[in-house]
Amino acid sequence: MDQQGQNGLLSTYREGWRTRSWLGIAISVSLILFYVVLYWEHKVEEFFGTTPLTAASEAVGLRNRWYLYGFLYSVAIIGGAIYYLRRHGNSRYNRFRISVNVVIQVALGFSLPFIMPLFGGKEFYFSYFWPLKYDYLYPQTLADLPLYLALYTIVGSLIAAPILAVLYGKRWYCSWICGCGGLANTFGDPWRHLTSKSTKSWRFEQISIHIVLFIAIATTFLIGLDWLIGKDHPTFHRIVAGNDWRDWSVKSFYGFAVGAVLAGVIGTGLYPLLGPRVWCRNFCPMAAILGWVQKVGRYRIRVKPDMCISCGNCSTYCEMGIDVRSYAQSNESFTRASCVGCGMCAHMCPRGVLKLENSWQVADDKDRQNLSVVNF
Amino acid sequence: MQIVIIGNGVAGIEAALAVREREPEWPITLVSEESDHFFSRTALMWVFSGQMSHRDIEPLERDAYARLGFKRVRARATGVDVGAKQVLLAGGHAPIAYDRLLITCGSRPRPGPWPGSDHRGVGHFVTLQDLSWYEREVHGEAGRGGDPPRAEAHLSASSDDSPYRFREVSSARRGSVARQPAVIGGGLIGIEAIEVAVAAALRPHFFIREEWFWPIALDPREATWISGRLAEHGVQVHLQHDVESIEADSDGNVCAIQTDQGTYETDCVVIAIGVMPNTQWLADSSLAIDSRGGIVVDEGLQTSAPDVFAAGDCAAVRWFDGTERPEQLWYTARDQGRVAGRRLLGDAARYDRGIWYNSAKLMDVEYTTVGLVNWNVEREQNWFLEEIGRVRSTTRIVLQDDRVVGFNLLGRRWDHSVLVRWLEQRRRLDWVLRHLHEAAFDTEFVPPLRIPKPGPRLDGPAPNPMIPGPTKVPF
Repeated sequence: MDQQGQNGLLSTYREGWRTRSWLGIAISVSLILFYVVLYWEHKVEEFFGTTPLTAASEAVGLRNRWYLYGFLYSVAIIGGAIYYLRRHGNSRYNRFRISVNVVIQVALGFSLPFIMPLFGGKEFYFSYFWPLKYDYLYPQTLADLPLYLALYTIVGSLIAAPILAVLYGKRWYCSWICGCGGLANTFGDPWRHLTSKSTKSWRFEQISIHIVLFIAIATTFLIGLDWLIGKDHPTFHRIVAGNDWRDWSVKSFYGFAVGAVLAGVIGTGLYPLLGPRVWCRNFCPMAAILGWVQKVGRYRIRVKPDMCISCGNCSTYCEMGIDVRSYAQSNESFTRASCVGCGMCAHMCPRGVLKLENSWQVADDKDRQNLSVVNF
Repeated sequence: MQIVIIGNGVAGIEAALAVREREPEWPITLVSEESDHFFSRTALMWVFSGQMSHRDIEPLERDAYARLGFKRVRARATGVDVGAKQVLLAGGHAPIAYDRLLITCGSRPRPGPWPGSDHRGVGHFVTLQDLSWYEREVHGEAGRGGDPPRAEAHLSASSDDSPYRFREVSSARRGSVARQPAVIGGGLIGIEAIEVAVAAALRPHFFIREEWFWPIALDPREATWISGRLAEHGVQVHLQHDVESIEADSDGNVCAIQTDQGTYETDCVVIAIGVMPNTQWLADSSLAIDSRGGIVVDEGLQTSAPDVFAAGDCAAVRWFDGTERPEQLWYTARDQGRVAGRRLLGDAARYDRGIWYNSAKLMDVEYTTVGLVNWNVEREQNWFLEEIGRVRSTTRIVLQDDRVVGFNLLGRRWDHSVLVRWLEQRRRLDWVLRHLHEAAFDTEFVPPLRIPKPGPRLDGPAPNPMIPGPTKVPF
């Protein structure tokens, strides 16, 4: 039977592996080690003379370690989805959303990119867009793609993604389509309560995410410029793109710092300590753009006036660290740039106070008693 | 202007915030026996199960007191000297002088009237200290979120009759956690105490004196559904059982409950038969207290003494039906706190409750009620629709003559503010049914409620055994 709201109580703080205990730290360290080996296997080879992930991928018949990563990623999402649906599957929104996450990952995140090269094509991830997939607007990438894929990525990144975010909020991407969001909401779900709700963490997020966005745009711009004038300016070309993939350049720095460290090592490795949306909340440049668009779009979390009991289930289980309760007890319907629309606040609310909605019309829910709302 | 607030709950904090917003310099002192930090009492059940930590149920960041300049005193107030304008404290603390005083000392659990109600292993589920006791009885320890900071700081300035004392834990004495808890009292706190025991994989006894669960809010059809859900979760529901005594073993640990229907073994008992104003400490303070223990206040929440106000569970406010009694709800305490804050600032402000509404969650079934439901309205009729399908729900609309005067809604989410407006507009049933979808607050993708044609027939009144005599419609 479908029920709105949580079916049965959760035992989060009575499970050792879900709190910042030594068990959580151990899981985190394992994840970080995995990512370090994944990204810098050539260094591992230099020091230890072995390539564990490449060997493993060959052993299971996958072409290289990135396909092995894609396979493990899919397994983590499927396993996490089962875990998630056992706890929150009585909500139709959650059920639909997580099912779409799984299908997108298995079909577009793993199978299609694996199959395309078998038919002589180039692997392509239909579920990723610039600036999250930062090289998809590099001129050389576009030039190498078939025309329809080049058009898909340009229209998808620059036109379709923002328009959909105006209509439905950033959730259409961050909570339904994106692989990072998919992993966070399934495999990362056990730790969603660990995202910091402090004002300091909010300030940090506002600064850090826009720094990364700036670097992403600047990098894309410089690489575009390099494509135009790089041949005539070898020093510029060396600095921006490098002569070899091992050279330190603007391009390889972005790949290292943002693509590997922030999105992978920190973004996923710290799930068991800082919650599952470390990357999405603090660093993802796509989330930054969609967040701006969301603020002027239709999406909001609507608050039913004067019914909140300040219990804090919404804030506790907000993976983006939004203090939903502070809005709910102020009778304030709201749109926060960081909100990925996972729907968990509305699901956890024991009084049905919160509702995700897409509507231009602002609900008439001002304070019934005309008393000033106290806000600091 | 020296502001003193007794109580650190929602009414007190809301008032303190309102004062601070306008008067950055006024000294504000909060006297609290129970806790260093303002927390949501409605959320104790989730701390118990481990769904939230103590930190999670605190709406303010822990540095808020320092940041906002709220001074805290962890002690029991023992009286108010309205002549000298002083609050007296236990534990050798010097009295605190006030220019304006707000009393928001809340409720305390109603003690069990039966012999043996104070045995080791018998307690309540209202205060932080009750939570600590019940957690240890059932789980043997607090969750990994830990206990609240300075949990015992008040004990040096407390008294024996305080509801914030820690109870002795029978499971610690026995050396084994409780396996067969029992809850006495079929109300909201009772069902919360049941739900947390179920979450701990136990099959608790649930003793309810009345003919069905929560008759003050539900009719027999609605209560049957809830009782069924309880039974599905393994709860042993005992309706129409009058508790006669609570028995202990030779070591003093609770071991059985004796009712008029038989004896039931148990190793932990939660008495949840309501709360009452926590006002005994005011007995000698010359403030007017009513027969229920509520502090008498006027429309502006002023007590019988000048510059002394009261808000929240301890204040006997005027209800929509004209009676004056405490209103033990979270959001009305918050509203009262906001009004009291204005009064502390010296403004004229009045508390005006308007039409009654409330919500709850009974196990996994959400509940919304608005207006006169189970009030024995004159010439009452009920429109009742039970939905059994993808979504299970009941919709009950209460009519007086042809006007809608109340809604009782289980299983779906509704925007009570829309329903309140319809009651104020004195709408007819057919109009309400045509517009009912406008009040729906279901989450996305939930199929809307379909009203069959022809709809259900109107039933006669659903008499409420809790409220004698017919009620006049006040709006």
